[in-house]
Amino acid sequence: MLFLGLGSLARAATQPAAVATYHKDISPLLEDYCYECHGDGMAKGKVAFDDLTDADLTTRPDLWFNALQNLRADIMPPLGKPRPTPDEEKAIARWIKYSAFGIDPNDPDPGRVTIRRMNRIEYGRTVRSLLGVPYPSEAEFPPDDTGHGFDNIADVLSISPLLLEKYLQAADTIITGVVPQTSRVTPEVTATGRDFRDYDGPQDLDDGEDNAGNAERTAMGRPIKYAETATVSHDFDIARDANYSVDFKLAVHGPFNFDIERCRVVASVDGVPCFDEPEGWFDDKVIQFSKDETWKAGKHRVTIAVSPLAKASWPVGIAGKDPREKTTLEVRIISVKVKGPTDPASRILPADYLRFFPKGEPSRFGFLREQYARGILRDFASRAFRRPVDDRTLERLVRLARSVDTAPGGSFEVGISRAMMAVLSSPRFIFRLEQTDPADAGARFPRLDEYSLASRLSYLLWSTMPDARLTELARKGQLRANLHAEVQRMLDDPQSSAFVRNFTGQWLQARDVEFIPINARAVLGLPAERKPGDPRVDFDGETRRAMRSETEMVVSYIIKGDRSVLELVDSNYTFLNAPLAKVYGIDGVSGKQMRFYTLPQGSFRGGVLTDGSVLTVTSNPTRTSPVKRGQFILENILGTPAPPPPPNIPPLEDAKVPGGHDPTLREMLAVHRDNQLCRSCHARMDPLGLAFENFNALGNFREKEAGVPINATGKLITGEEFTDVRGLKKIITHERRTDYYRCITEKLMTYALGRGLEYYDVEAVDRIVMDMEHDGGRFSTLLLGVIDSAPFERRRPVIKASLMALSGSPKMATGNEN
Amino acid sequence: MNIPQLPSTPEPARKPKLEVDRRLFLKGVGVCLGMPVLESMLPAKALAGTVATDAAPAVTATGAPLRMAFVYFPNGANQKNWWPAGNGADFALGPTMQPLLGLKDKIQVVGGLDLHEAEPGNDGGGDHARANATFLTGARARKTDGSDIHVGISVDQVAAKHVGQATRFQSLELSCDSVHKAGHCDTGYSCAYQYNISWQSPTTPMTPEPNPRFVFERLFGSGPPEQRQRNYEMRMRTQKSLLDFVLDDARSIQDQVSQRDQEKLDEYLTSVRDIERRLEHAESFGPLPKPDATTPPGIPPAYGQHMDLMYDLLALAFQTDSTRIGTLLLAGDGTNRAFPEIGIAEGHHYCSHHHGNQDLIDKVGRIDLFYMQHFARFLGKLDGMKDIDGKSVLENSMIVYGCGNSDGNRHTHTNLPVVLAGQGGGTLTTGRSVHYGSLPMTNLYLTMAQRMGVTGVPRIGDSTGLLAAL
Repeated sequence: MLFLGLGSLARAATQPAAVATYHKDISPLLEDYCYECHGDGMAKGKVAFDDLTDADLTTRPDLWFNALQNLRADIMPPLGKPRPTPDEEKAIARWIKYSAFGIDPNDPDPGRVTIRRMNRIEYGRTVRSLLGVPYPSEAEFPPDDTGHGFDNIADVLSISPLLLEKYLQAADTIITGVVPQTSRVTPEVTATGRDFRDYDGPQDLDDGEDNAGNAERTAMGRPIKYAETATVSHDFDIARDANYSVDFKLAVHGPFNFDIERCRVVASVDGVPCFDEPEGWFDDKVIQFSKDETWKAGKHRVTIAVSPLAKASWPVGIAGKDPREKTTLEVRIISVKVKGPTDPASRILPADYLRFFPKGEPSRFGFLREQYARGILRDFASRAFRRPVDDRTLERLVRLARSVDTAPGGSFEVGISRAMMAVLSSPRFIFRLEQTDPADAGARFPRLDEYSLASRLSYLLWSTMPDARLTELARKGQLRANLHAEVQRMLDDPQSSAFVRNFTGQWLQARDVEFIPINARAVLGLPAERKPGDPRVDFDGETRRAMRSETEMVVSYIIKGDRSVLELVDSNYTFLNAPLAKVYGIDGVSGKQMRFYTLPQGSFRGGVLTDGSVLTVTSNPTRTSPVKRGQFILENILGTPAPPPPPNIPPLEDAKVPGGHDPTLREMLAVHRDNQLCRSCHARMDPLGLAFENFNALGNFREKEAGVPINATGKLITGEEFTDVRGLKKIITHERRTDYYRCITEKLMTYALGRGLEYYDVEAVDRIVMDMEHDGGRFSTLLLGVIDSAPFERRRPVIKASLMALSGSPKMATGNEN
Repeated sequence: MNIPQLPSTPEPARKPKLEVDRRLFLKGVGVCLGMPVLESMLPAKALAGTVATDAAPAVTATGAPLRMAFVYFPNGANQKNWWPAGNGADFALGPTMQPLLGLKDKIQVVGGLDLHEAEPGNDGGGDHARANATFLTGARARKTDGSDIHVGISVDQVAAKHVGQATRFQSLELSCDSVHKAGHCDTGYSCAYQYNISWQSPTTPMTPEPNPRFVFERLFGSGPPEQRQRNYEMRMRTQKSLLDFVLDDARSIQDQVSQRDQEKLDEYLTSVRDIERRLEHAESFGPLPKPDATTPPGIPPAYGQHMDLMYDLLALAFQTDSTRIGTLLLAGDGTNRAFPEIGIAEGHHYCSHHHGNQDLIDKVGRIDLFYMQHFARFLGKLDGMKDIDGKSVLENSMIVYGCGNSDGNRHTHTNLPVVLAGQGGGTLTTGRSVHYGSLPMTNLYLTMAQRMGVTGVPRIGDSTGLLAAL
């Protein structure tokens, strides 16, 4: 849906040419096709075309936009009434676009883009690109507010004191954690949990093929369950005789609630125990201890042994634990560090010192020191700001670094770190500031400069800052010349998975499948309590993740192969693993690995609409919701959302269902459609949603519900009829194909621009839709169409706020930023 | 400590999962709030009443801090179970309010308050978004999916601006919504309206924090207890130098950007100034309070536990006088959360549109009761905390518990379900059920704000005056 209002350009009250064409060519058509409801005394929806003044013709884009949308989607004139011929429809559309909206097709208005704060996903990914370290921004920052269906909408992404506080703290944590704070450290060798092996046991204790949560496990160290008996070791190669310190860092990890498991943890160095303690329940405990050693050169073995102990007794007054529950307590080896030789003379440069201080330790001379700082900070700030840092800002950073360096207890490294924190706290980092190309100065709608363009591309396709190559092209002014090749390179880069994840995750709500409440037993009509011996029924994390992956992989497959976006709606393939195949009732798929799967002829699956993800996120926790499913299709596939329900809706209990029995869902909804007030929306939503009734709220296929055969037949408000969801998919990809093209274009454009679309964007969208019509809807046509469009390529010139204040005039001429 | 007995639910709920409740652990070693306030925890100047204005704001007649909090529960209430029988002091609590039985003389059930700006007007659907956005602002939320969000300043922020200077934090914003749904929210309204109740300006919400650990660390410092003060001081020094830099940086950008961009930068600058103020006054607030509680872990898996932790933190913040103004959004209006812990598999929003189905109506009642049990536990905690004047913290508080929807089935916004707990330092008439006929909800807020010492604010949102005899 497009939202109108702000951003509309003020136009002169009457446009003589537009008015003349209207009276000559358009008004007669409206008279023929629209006046039955919107003229001659009729004003349905409070619209009467014959009441419009000449000024209304060019100053009410909202009215004309609705007219255009309804006309093109065949919603008006309604089914059964005479319709304009295709040529007449085109004439009306042309008049609306070029006269009522005043769009100049040769220089369309790119619209207003507000400076955009990075959302928490972009923040985390940008920190990783910038510094090479992960930062758990999704755990540290509160969820971002969304608008227009996405979480990257500039106008909605606000900053509150809480958030700024978090930015300051994150800057501190990130920089202190990654930038060496001194130039001399005792040498150290670190072994992580992954380096520990069971040298005596039969097999390597590696995690095996369990992919779920692997990344986290690696980061947290190799977990050993309390219930196992495990002895794992690592050998350190020591180069020379000296004093060393062995620092252990282990963690106990368990569920939030009390658990009775206990174990014994013994750590030894060269076979001599140095730590021996029982461990019980703790949901998050870090165990750290050190042992000093005087070692000869050669191999030294560090061993950690875990063995189960008798279970703890339950606290008084609390009943026993459900024996079916698996124990989840475990010991994790986070790291074992050997530091040494520990004498001061053996100190060395920290391992990644040269990464941040490329010329080694700073000179003792103030001038050289400052010059060095300037070089380091110029590079860092320019990368972080995604454009060359200006001299004034750079000098302020250098001054900040120097003030810390020269303060008592300060150092060069701490000074640089402080300046880097300032960079990460700066609005130039937290916001994406854009500039226009100086060569276009004076243009009505200038192009973005290439640094801004590089950022638009990288945040669109990677959800992070531009890489070195993009930045280098922008510096040389060659990005535009290589634009399509760069887009291809970016899509081929693994970072483009962020686009699939974030765009699909929100457009198709695939993100939500991981946490929506679904009660599998209730959906299947089973009693709430499972009797012993009954099969377990669960909508577990593994299934949810598989559903999310399926949708993402289908999208990814279409992108990688530059296939038609129509396959998102209707295709004969999908991606499955064993848990998901079970949900779908498909035999012969084993293992947890997702793989390409060709569906049999006549399958109800194929296309994302019948993916488990979409089917479940549009359901209620215990049953399907045809209304939600219908609304999902209208909002996200056909792009003709139902108008909002009218105020003061009478509650349905007043409505009587014939027959005196408990109404079925279909009958309940029929009551909706019989009611004049409800019909305008429900006649659009319900048939779409009911088409999916062959799938329950878990995404299982079904032919009957409560013993009654499913009736999935329906007729769209535009007249097309179908017998089940397969027919509906065909209608979407054929008769309603243009609606779908337009919808997906609008969604991608919203995501790419970080703003809702406005009426003046209709020209850009139309061009892309037309190109997609010509080549069957190839993904590249869609993506490059958006990237090459005026709204993506250009912006309104910035009228500086300071000048505004000086001029004191709130009204700006047409086409300016304010 | 006076914790009310929880009544048994009307029908036997699903057998609870047998596990040791986390709370047991928290009581043993953690967030135990039963101790009296140590005077050293409180800033001396609150006691002495030496804050900037003449009449010390947010201070009771006996010199204790006066607090106010607003707790939002979603989707309206089962009307039959909510309202008490009888009026005035002679009233019997309805089924939903049974958990408040032991606190009956410390609360008042307030009827007859409306949120007209939450009604459809010319805006059509979207009652949940409006209920949420209008609840504390009394203003009409502009119907936009995100291009031009606009509602109003919420009562807590009005108060924070006027009387928030007395404490380390002007206000505290909490939420139990840690996961936001993807895609669109309520019919044509940006999700910002549905996940925020506190607004510092008509266009900028005060982001609430859902993570108990971060709330604790923000209030009381991070790290082991003995290192918190040092960590805090170090962080203050670092932040001070960063703020000096970014303030100037933001200003230098300001005149290079457009009007709308400048509004975004203003949000940034406002936040910078808020933190600066805190750093500047840090010394006068003395060392960080040391609550008798351990740092809570992150977000608990069970909703009830999450609510309890957030309530505990709000109570701790009040007890230690870290702030006197708080908001807690238990869940954004329209939430479809299921309640397996009380045997309700259906979603809350689905149940609330019961279309007269008695089973669903009962389920709404049980969900309301579940929410009320946790609220009652919170009040019990506050009641068990001794304040510096010998009263309980609850007596020196004004706590609004309510929803911007009354009947979730019909989306009505009149006669909202509201409980006002606490005696406001002895100025509120508690132990009664009072009905104001049909007055703006914001009249209650204006009255509360004045009690907090807010002056020169003629109205809040659509308020028309003060509530007589509150």
